[in-house]
Amino acid sequence: MNARTVSLAVALALTGCVSVPPAPPAEVVRLQNELDRLHRDPRVVDNGGVELSNADIAVNSLARDYRVLDVTEREQRVYVADRLVQIAEASGRARAAEQHSRDLGAERERLLARAGTRDVVAPPQIVERRVMESSEWLPPERRTLMAIQSRLPNMESQLDARGLVVRFSEYQFQPGRSEPTPTAERSLDQLARVLREEPATHVAVEGIGGDGDRALALDRADAVRDYLDARGVEPARVTVRSADPSSVRDRRVDVVILAAR
Amino acid sequence: MSRFPLLLSLLLVLYGGIAQAADRKDAELALAQASTAVQAARRDDAQTYAPADFATAQTTLNTSLEAFDARAWTNSLIYAERARVDGELAGARSRQVRAETAATELERSLDTLRAQVSAGGAP
Repeated sequence: MNARTVSLAVALALTGCVSVPPAPPAEVVRLQNELDRLHRDPRVVDNGGVELSNADIAVNSLARDYRVLDVTEREQRVYVADRLVQIAEASGRARAAEQHSRDLGAERERLLARAGTRDVVAPPQIVERRVMESSEWLPPERRTLMAIQSRLPNMESQLDARGLVVRFSEYQFQPGRSEPTPTAERSLDQLARVLREEPATHVAVEGIGGDGDRALALDRADAVRDYLDARGVEPARVTVRSADPSSVRDRRVDVVILAAR
Repeated sequence: MSRFPLLLSLLLVLYGGIAQAADRKDAELALAQASTAVQAARRDDAQTYAPADFATAQTTLNTSLEAFDARAWTNSLIYAERARVDGELAGARSRQVRAETAATELERSLDTLRAQVSAGGAP
């Protein structure tokens, strides 16, 4: 083999090395595959939000920089990117489940309305229009309660013979415990703000549950009173009581707001 | 745009400095963020609903604190960053478990209600 042939072979080999990009390392490929899986999952891709964007940024920048990083930096960025991918999945699935619960709650309302077992909850904007247009004939305390209801959007509420009833369903408490969920706490924050602005109202917190659930229902009612107390609603305005459920599975807490006559 | 992508970008820039020695200020900042993330996970009931993830976050935070006490700023920074994402993961997993549990419970309740309504009885 002469020198010219050898040179040609070396040149061809070098050309081949330059034209074929190096394969990405296995741990980066694993993260990219995980990220692809999340982007194919409608629960995550529709609800991943900023967490999914963060995971995209972390994995893509890791793939780009991997070969220039030292061992410590590689390990750290692989660790963080891996966690960000998992956070994106958990956050997306949590939001998807919360949306599913809201949809189920709306369906429950429709079914209950169709069964005629309770008043249909008036959307807040309709309640407000009623207050504006046709409430002069109503007793003043009823008008007060309707005005309060209009200030509690996104909360399940109804006006019935007891007063303005704000309902906290079973799923708004931690399973088997008395603590409200973070979502319920946001509703209670809103309720406490309105009650502080309406010092003439009184509140009855009713823990509703059957024989086996009565103690837990009362504990949850106590927890709601304590939460309102901690947010400036005077305990003297709030009573706690137990109430019978309408069915075996009926477990909830009703906050009944009563306007002073 | 949320502040999180900005924070992430800053984080990625900071990684460029890990190879160089971190100083006490860097480690303190990272520790504060990690501690906040672990506290948030505790408020999200991660101890109950994501116990393994929460334990990992707590252990990693403790490792970072030990490194800080030993004035090993770079190690403290590295473990604090890990504890921060571990804490965020524990909180996210806890929210996921609680949301999925609540949805399952609602589905069961709704199945019963549907059966009662279709049978013509009051719930």
